[in-house]
Amino acid sequence: MKITTWLKNIFTEHSTLFILITPLIIIALVTDLLDDTLTERIVITMFINLILVLGLQLFMGNGGTLNFAHIGFMGIGAYASVIFSMTPQAKSIGLPDLYPIFNPIQLPFLMALLLGGLIAAFCAAIISFPLMRLSDAAAVITSFALLVIIHVVLVHWDNITAGPQTLFGVDRYTDLWMSVIWGIGFIILAYWFKESSIGLKLRASRDDRYAAATIGINMVIVRWVAFTLSAFMAGIAGGLWAHFITSFSPKAFYLTETFVILAMLVVGGPGGVSGAVVGTLIVSIVREGLRTIESAINIGQLLPSTLVGFAEVFLAIALIVILIFRPGGIMGGREIRWLKKRPLSQKNEDGTNTTIS
Amino acid sequence: MPPSIQTTNTATLIVQDINKVFFGLRALENVSLRLQKGEILGLIGPNGSGKTTLINVITGLLPLTSGKIYINSTNLSSAKPYQIARAGIARTYQTIRLFKELTVKENIEVAAVSIGSSRKEARHQADAIIQEFGLEAWVHYLASALPYGLERRVEIARALAMKPLFLLLDEPAAGLNEEEAEELLHILELIPDNKKLGMLIVEHDMHLIMRLCDRLHVLNYGKTIGEGTPEQVRRIPAVVEAYLGSTARGD
Repeated sequence: MKITTWLKNIFTEHSTLFILITPLIIIALVTDLLDDTLTERIVITMFINLILVLGLQLFMGNGGTLNFAHIGFMGIGAYASVIFSMTPQAKSIGLPDLYPIFNPIQLPFLMALLLGGLIAAFCAAIISFPLMRLSDAAAVITSFALLVIIHVVLVHWDNITAGPQTLFGVDRYTDLWMSVIWGIGFIILAYWFKESSIGLKLRASRDDRYAAATIGINMVIVRWVAFTLSAFMAGIAGGLWAHFITSFSPKAFYLTETFVILAMLVVGGPGGVSGAVVGTLIVSIVREGLRTIESAINIGQLLPSTLVGFAEVFLAIALIVILIFRPGGIMGGREIRWLKKRPLSQKNEDGTNTTIS
Repeated sequence: MPPSIQTTNTATLIVQDINKVFFGLRALENVSLRLQKGEILGLIGPNGSGKTTLINVITGLLPLTSGKIYINSTNLSSAKPYQIARAGIARTYQTIRLFKELTVKENIEVAAVSIGSSRKEARHQADAIIQEFGLEAWVHYLASALPYGLERRVEIARALAMKPLFLLLDEPAAGLNEEEAEELLHILELIPDNKKLGMLIVEHDMHLIMRLCDRLHVLNYGKTIGEGTPEQVRRIPAVVEAYLGSTARGD
């Protein structure tokens, strides 16, 4: 009896989480049952993108500053985890110029993955601290510069990466449920963060940095923590993706992916976790749908010339339309809820309860 | 900042020989004042006399050119705004600055959280203040959805959630109608004793100032031209000329 009421309270209090997670689990189950390689590939990619979007939401949605560098930290996480997970033989072929000390190290996948995330977070913590006092255009431009720097480093530091070439020989460890579990875990983390003390302070500083300062909020520290956590999530996503796709080059962690992730968050609405989930789902589905249409048109030769980039252009247009007509995204910064949060009740003097809605 | 100053009984805010120069313009010239716990000090003066500048300097939003600011013996002269806030100085703004995308309750909670309360304590503290200010019906509204008069009230409630030693109010009655101003007056009257804090009010509403304040401090062109009880200040010739005189001419 007690446990059921407790569960019921948890459900009503945090209905957002249940509503967001249930359809994702259903998608995963259906994919598992279908056992179709292409579907599985699409769904795993979607869950990895979800982690990236959630990470971006955590910093950008709560903090109010656009961050272009996010995918850069995905790249750091990808390369860092791969260095720790590959077999020495694979490394001597795939990463010929790797620093010799790293060559014999081979860790279990989960440890390598975590290390990748932590290294991405560590890099973010060091690089970002001086940047966290910047707002608006300055913050956006510096984050873009950061993406360029990370990209150039990944391309040229061939003692760590394979340089601009594609890195081969990564073992495939990421399967469907691995990506699902991390995705759902990060939904819970992002949801918890938003409601935590630090998330609340971050949201306050987003709305008014001066008022935030004069109630005692140290915006730089609060933002910095969020940025570091967000980079950790990107790093984990990078590690998962690297061990799913198994061969990649630094090109994968640049503008194309940045645009897709940003589009997902903006379409869904950066203000909340629901926006991140909804945006990822919708954009993933629409993108795959458009690609299917595109290839159907091309195969059937319905147009005089082959159609290319249909999905990308459509996505860009959708982004513009959303920004014009619904700048807060589909969710407009709100969270999906089962019922409205229970209104505040208070005892009247005669002992009855009044409900104020 | 050591938390111990929060509990001392005789907190005094000391502002000593403050100068603030903006690109050669002397906005504040050797301004000194003291504010004690339990006391209401009115800061008045014509437009542009430096009242808001003084509040901005005390709260650290503007760096001071020279001078010292203390709470008891804690020197806050070069502290950052968030450090000053944590040392016990809360404020409101002439143009209301609420966190627009947070609910009324979150606006108040975040102030409690930022001075070190846990999330759970902050919830209870916010509930208490919400009741005190009669905001129960509005807790789940976003701050951006509030009517103007309530925004003022929420801003004061938020400042009090910091449990400050001193509360600086920058024109709290600006833009309120007579009824709302009267309501505000009742709220303000009770704060210093209930919350055991010192309050500094910048206000143009002379009725409100005369009824509320124990002492007045008059600024003109960034200089102090008078101090004392409302009765004493009324009889200072420089004040009459600069402040009351100008309105007389205006009539």
